[in-house]
Amino acid sequence: MKRSLAQRITLSVAGVLVALLFFFPTYWMFTTSLKTPGEVLSPKYDLIPTSATLTNFASALTKPGFVTYLGNSLIVTLAAVITALVVGVLAAIPLARFRFRGRKGFLLLILVAQLAPLSALFIPMYLLMRDLSLLNTLPSLLLVYFATSLPFTVWMLYGFVNGIPYDLEEAAMIDGCSRTGAFRRVTLPLLGPGLVTTSVFSFITAWNEFLFALVFMRDKSKQTLPVWLSSFKTAFSVDWGGVMAASVIYAIPALIFFLIVQRKLVSGMTAGAVKG
Amino acid sequence: MTATQNAPVPAGTTSPAPARVRDGRRRRRGGLGERLVPYLLILPTLVAVLVLLGWPTIQMLGISLRQLDLRELVTGKTVWIGFANYTATLSDPKFWSVALRTVVFTALLVAATLLVALVIALLMRHLNPVIRILVQISLVLAWAVPVIATTTVFQWIFDQQYGILNKTLDRLGFHSFIGYSWFSTGASTLAVIGLLVLWQAVPFVAFTLYAGLIGVPREQYEAAGIDGAGPWQTFRAVSWPAIRPILTMVTFLSVLWDFNMFGQVWAIRQGGPDGASTTLAILQYLKGIAGSHFGSAAAIATMMLVLLLLVTARYVQLLVRTKDGELA
Repeated sequence: MKRSLAQRITLSVAGVLVALLFFFPTYWMFTTSLKTPGEVLSPKYDLIPTSATLTNFASALTKPGFVTYLGNSLIVTLAAVITALVVGVLAAIPLARFRFRGRKGFLLLILVAQLAPLSALFIPMYLLMRDLSLLNTLPSLLLVYFATSLPFTVWMLYGFVNGIPYDLEEAAMIDGCSRTGAFRRVTLPLLGPGLVTTSVFSFITAWNEFLFALVFMRDKSKQTLPVWLSSFKTAFSVDWGGVMAASVIYAIPALIFFLIVQRKLVSGMTAGAVKG
Repeated sequence: MTATQNAPVPAGTTSPAPARVRDGRRRRRGGLGERLVPYLLILPTLVAVLVLLGWPTIQMLGISLRQLDLRELVTGKTVWIGFANYTATLSDPKFWSVALRTVVFTALLVAATLLVALVIALLMRHLNPVIRILVQISLVLAWAVPVIATTTVFQWIFDQQYGILNKTLDRLGFHSFIGYSWFSTGASTLAVIGLLVLWQAVPFVAFTLYAGLIGVPREQYEAAGIDGAGPWQTFRAVSWPAIRPILTMVTFLSVLWDFNMFGQVWAIRQGGPDGASTTLAILQYLKGIAGSHFGSAAAIATMMLVLLLLVTARYVQLLVRTKDGELA
């Protein structure tokens, strides 16, 4: 389809507007983090900053225990993402490729499992972890994050596997691949964008979660970054510059993760492969 | 649940023809071992879901039938009181207004999320690569910034005295916005929360829809172009069928997430002013963890679950009935 110049300009302008709208809060978080308290609380119009200071970052990073919090968050999050993906792919394969008795019951379970309000399961979950004597250990958070993102992971991956034509696997099997080989060599590589989208979700769940992290982990040495971030807000005042600097630091690992997976996300692997 | 049912059953009795063909081949090739494969593959998920989500849910149902305040929690005594928690909650007019608010808020939020995301996904497909990457970067940023951080930034943007929004509106000539409080009424508080959620939720939905769109072979668009289809017809005939299953899925998920959303609403104004932005999730938290009436909290949570089941029943039913379990 050829588009006229006017159409292309309209599209580009709309695109830039969307980009700006979604960029602004991040931009505002970053620039606020570079301001001194006096500059933050000033009636001056300061959309574009004129000066910058790194004191907010310095004081945030030198708060005791930062490295421990960061480490805990990374361990719990990455472990939850990987476990959910591995277990999820295992369950998505039979859902999309096999007909077996109880399949629909299992699907129903996966669907209904997503309905539960997490904040309501808090008390029973707490009791469960207490009975398993896992309270105050990182595995308890890992289990919670894994469990809460698993139904969604299975569901997403099931959709993505389903979206890859079975014909491709059949063709590979005709060419002499085993059923497993056909899945591994044909469907799994095509599943790339699906795996990425899904891992992003479980990453967010684990990286963001606050309530469980706060209550399950008594020891300061076992807490995660969201809990650390909340320590910047006191009941009486908000140190906006400090909170924003801490938020930027907190967001950086997530950004790195997203930038790594982003290329896969938009590479359009499926678009190229299903041709013909 | 069904993991142990591996008796040789002709799967074709309920499945459509293609599945029967596939099954037939599998039966010819493998014996018991082959039939066990799907069950072994789903076993880890089954165990995890039943133990880590199923069991707490059953406990929640149990707690909703008990009087469980701080005293009972400490002494460990179990006091069954039947449906008293439910009748007390249902006869409270406040519960009904909160429930109505939650439903309306969820519906509006989901509709807005889907619409904005669909427009952006379609836009991304047609943009030139440079601007598309710009859009994608800003979407990824919005998506990646953790919820707590985003919520704080929004509070700061909408700050009454020094917030950039009020300053900008003042600059643009709307001087009445100097010192305007966006959190003075429930409706405007919920609107800010809605924007915040929209900002966080749209990237995921847009990327998912976009992934569905780029999954469509280019030839189909070319064919539609050759056949003289306009943009709208192309969308209807080529894009729509490709993204409809994904759209149904993200609708379902958005309903779940927005209905159960707690963190953002709580962080902005704890359900205020004066309870005017309280949703069911907040009410449940206020009763339970904040007020230590775990029985009534569990009753509210159970009713939320039932309401969600009712709302999503059609979709779930559709799923179970669809021949392939696939939503196309």
